[in-house]
Amino acid sequence: MKKTMSKKELVWNILVTILALTGATIVSYLLVFVGGHTANVSIVYMMAVVLISRFSNGYIPGVIASFISVICVNLVFTYPFMHLNFTLDGYPITFIALMVISSITSATTTHLKYQNKIIHEREKLLMEAEKEAMRANLLRAISHDLRTPLTGIIGASNSFLDDHNSMSEEEKAILVNGIREDANWLLNMVENLLTVTRIRGTKAHIAKSLEPVEEVASEAVMRFHKRFPDSRVKVTVPEDLVMVPMDATLIEQVIINLLENAVYHSTSKDPVSLTISIENRNARFDIRDHGIGIAPDRLSTIFDGYTSSPNSSGDSHKGMGIGLSICKTIITAHNGTITAGNESLGAIFTFTLPLGENTCE
Amino acid sequence: MNKFTIAIIEDEKNISGFIESTLQRHDYKVISAVNGKDGLAMISSNCPDVILLDLGLPDIDGLDIIKNVRSWSAIPIIVISARTQEQEKVTALDYGADDYITKPFGTSELLARIRTALRHGKSTVSTVDGSVVQTPYQCKGLIIDFTKRLVTLNEHVVHLTQIEYKLVSLLAENSGKVLTYDYMINHIWGPYADSNNQILRVNMAHIRRKIEINPGEPNYIFTEIGVGYRMRESEY
Repeated sequence: MKKTMSKKELVWNILVTILALTGATIVSYLLVFVGGHTANVSIVYMMAVVLISRFSNGYIPGVIASFISVICVNLVFTYPFMHLNFTLDGYPITFIALMVISSITSATTTHLKYQNKIIHEREKLLMEAEKEAMRANLLRAISHDLRTPLTGIIGASNSFLDDHNSMSEEEKAILVNGIREDANWLLNMVENLLTVTRIRGTKAHIAKSLEPVEEVASEAVMRFHKRFPDSRVKVTVPEDLVMVPMDATLIEQVIINLLENAVYHSTSKDPVSLTISIENRNARFDIRDHGIGIAPDRLSTIFDGYTSSPNSSGDSHKGMGIGLSICKTIITAHNGTITAGNESLGAIFTFTLPLGENTCE
Repeated sequence: MNKFTIAIIEDEKNISGFIESTLQRHDYKVISAVNGKDGLAMISSNCPDVILLDLGLPDIDGLDIIKNVRSWSAIPIIVISARTQEQEKVTALDYGADDYITKPFGTSELLARIRTALRHGKSTVSTVDGSVVQTPYQCKGLIIDFTKRLVTLNEHVVHLTQIEYKLVSLLAENSGKVLTYDYMINHIWGPYADSNNQILRVNMAHIRRKIEINPGEPNYIFTEIGVGYRMRESEY
């Protein structure tokens, strides 16, 4: 695999070789001429050769280094100094041993590097495939979820245009209201999709800043009210100011999704409560409704998205759509947790966000 | 009656059509352009009272239009922008736009923004003894008397620190309009203040606890996260 050595690699190899050999020579010099021991000189050079083989690319630097080492040991550090003497006892053994050691080390490290590269590539391929699958799933879920409201909008506007002469004002209002509701639902869906593009894979890509939880909660509730002016939300925030590192746009989206979920699925007109509290260095958000709760068989998969059971697949407002899975993605990216459960009356969704350092006033 | 003229620069026909019909129904004169070049020509020949500007135009960057208009005029500019682009909004405001409205917006929101933009400067009122003073801010039981430096909520005096009063009165004098973090920090702490907005957020939290019944559901001061704060429009 190392047919041609790039210029950069060549320079690197030369640098490593020279550095290690110089180091070994200095140490040996100190050992021999200051300490007076000659026994360990070969070991020191051996070490240098092993290091060179480990950190350079290919076999050549190691072999060259072992050759130089042998000459050095012979010339400089063995009596008679500054004379080459190939008749020394055990000389061939030192030479051969150094050569073999360097070759084996080079071979092993090269092999290891090669294997690492293969593993890395395979992982990358696997991840890509996973991403591709996720994307396909998401697209399928979205297209499915988009079709229903669009059908509603097109149908309602068609019938309005066709029959508006024979319709009562009340009927017209119902049609237009339906269009508005569906369009708003579509808008929230699009905002959800936009938040996904904000996350992009890993958590490192989220731009977090310290935000007061009360401001995030109140803005989310305000936006929610714009869409559902009739639904009531009871907000409770901690007594003290709490700042949490987060991407506020994303967390707002989570709150809005959970509130919307409560409005669509609780089948109750009682106010939804949003309670924020501090618990074990976490900010805890509880969204609680007073409706019918969540079917127990759905609890375990509720955040997986696109799990609408076959009998409810017709109406996407009743299927949970991708809103909850997006909530989970966002919270996970913040290193938080999100759970769903049933209370004595109604459902409760809880998510937590870790507090950063010094976030309490 | 002399109608106010509103200029709309928006390339999306559907949107400008809807804005146009809404505004005409509320007694404004509307002129519109579908691209930046025509828009600039229209503004310079008509001198409208308010400009509604979409930042994503096909020919000229909306920010350049703001710069161009600001080089010769102080006509209020309201930017029409999509959500999730806080940075774009802040830049537009820094360039001299007066306010922004986030797509999609309702009629009432749009009309409120235009009303606020038309209300230039500090309004004044004559008192009984003939002197002219700044109109107090008044909204849903909250009254701010700028001459007495007195804030009352449902007839109870609210005790604010110096900084807190300055912040509230700054917001109240510009009620209905968004003020960016940087603008507020510059105004209260001076141009050499730390640009870190933490101290502002902390002070705002204190104010919220003093004038709002529930800090989680504010009545008077709203947060526009990533941009700044906006105080509910004064009733007078």
